[in-house]
Amino acid sequence: MADKTFIVKIKRQQRPDEAVRWEEYELRYRPHMNVIICLRDIAEKPFTRSGSESTPVSYEANCLEEICGACAMIVNGKPRQACTALVDDLEKPIRLEPLTKFPLIRDLQVDRSSMFENLKRTKCWIPIDGTYDLGPGPRMSPETQEVGYALSQCITCGNCLEICPKVNEHSNFVGAAIVSQVRLFNMHPTGAMHAGPRLEALMGPGGIEDCDNAQNCVKVCPKGIPLTESLAAVNGQVLVHAVKSFFRGS
Amino acid sequence: MSVAATDSKTSYLLDKLQSLSGVIPIGAFLAEHFWSNSYALVSVGKYNDVSRELQQIPWRIFVETCVLFIPILFHGLYGIYIWWTGKSNAIGHPWMANWLYVLQRWTGIIAFVFIGWHLYTERFLGHGVTSYADVQRSLLNPWYLTFYIVGITCASFHLGNGLWNFACKWGIAVSVPAQRAAGWFGAAVAVAFTFIGVAIVLALHYGAFPMGSYVQ
Ligand code: HEM
Ligand code: SF4
Ligand code: FES
Repeated sequence: MADKTFIVKIKRQQRPDEAVRWEEYELRYRPHMNVIICLRDIAEKPFTRSGSESTPVSYEANCLEEICGACAMIVNGKPRQACTALVDDLEKPIRLEPLTKFPLIRDLQVDRSSMFENLKRTKCWIPIDGTYDLGPGPRMSPETQEVGYALSQCITCGNCLEICPKVNEHSNFVGAAIVSQVRLFNMHPTGAMHAGPRLEALMGPGGIEDCDNAQNCVKVCPKGIPLTESLAAVNGQVLVHAVKSFFRGS
Repeated sequence: MSVAATDSKTSYLLDKLQSLSGVIPIGAFLAEHFWSNSYALVSVGKYNDVSRELQQIPWRIFVETCVLFIPILFHGLYGIYIWWTGKSNAIGHPWMANWLYVLQRWTGIIAFVFIGWHLYTERFLGHGVTSYADVQRSLLNPWYLTFYIVGITCASFHLGNGLWNFACKWGIAVSVPAQRAAGWFGAAVAVAFTFIGVAIVLALHYGAFPMGSYVQ
């Protein structure tokens, strides 16, 4: 009996300045396959559907369980994690494209370091080191822990930026993920001591004001993070900070 | 997307002013405007009294410039700039809020063109002294009537949806249920404003006074 097969179409580019080409691969179906398995199958036997020899597809993946964020790509038109995109659930032929809001490296691999730069710019960490032992920090209420836990699950995949109409070459918007991290670190009792500089950073170009409430981010976040709540909450924090520091000095 | 290189606060201030100007003074004026024009539902005399009252306020040209012309021009022109900084994807991802994002922009520009034309024909051509008869004369033209109905509907939708945006973007409605409630509130404003605005122009078009019994 012939093996059951299915088609995967991949948008490929050797280099960012090279012309785009779409390649089609016919893969042998096995139960419970995900998109990463498809890409590995291609790497094993890089022959397109028409039989011409190609090269293994470039992509990123690490954890294979939706906790590292590396494998974000556009699967059938929607930004999502390839490792949890199951072949059984996907419409065929499966179409794979790289994220478009980050510089392309090759094939499905993009450079998402701008997110890391923006986390640094918005001071998304909690300073706990001193020249002497600072002792234990203030306690955190269970309610705060609960809200914070949901926010802390961000895997910096970039799907929320990919889907946002305000993230593009006409705007520097940092995106929902970064704003949500600012909320997380401002909520932490030690982190709250440095809320001011984080809010200041979000007042600059590309900051919170660029959000125009299309609310797409929350639809594509693989971790179900309440991004629209984070955006509204931080918007309020920035406003209060701006008014206070103008009228009373910071 | 890239990492911003400056820490200028100008864009924050301008964006906040654009957002605020939609509610105060423009939204507030729209409410006032529909209120005073609702006298067209009562009687010719009442309508003309109220119009004359408004046309004879002290400092008129300064009030009009500061409360209407400058805010509308700023909100509209800066709104077009904000539009340019976004790239809609509602066709590929047709979620409700994503469509509202697109509609907010198109209704804004239609309202802008309508307001410009409305100001030109009713405010400037009439040198600021229009009466019931003047307004009725323009509304007898079916094309004018149609444009009024389209303009009123767009402005009302834009205000209602704008109030929802405003509630989210000023950190007033933070939780999902609060944002949903703000959305229903905005929808109610949009429907009420459309209804009242269309009732006014239809009453003028037909010369009808559905609230005429209020005059003793
Ligand atoms: C009838 C006159 C108008 C009223 C009552 C009005 C009202 C509003 C309100 C209440 C908002 C919400 C503010 C916010 O987003 O926080 C808004 C936003 C906006 N308006 Fe207007 N506006 C009017 C005219 C215009 C015009 C002429 C334009 C020009 C295209 C325009 C474009 C926009 C844009 C782009 C936004 C931003 C929406 C966003 O940030 O998502 N508006 N307007
Ligand atoms: S907020 Fe969600 S969609 Fe955005 S980067 Fe984090 S995990 Fe990904
Ligand atoms: S490989 Fe880590 S999220 Fe997919």
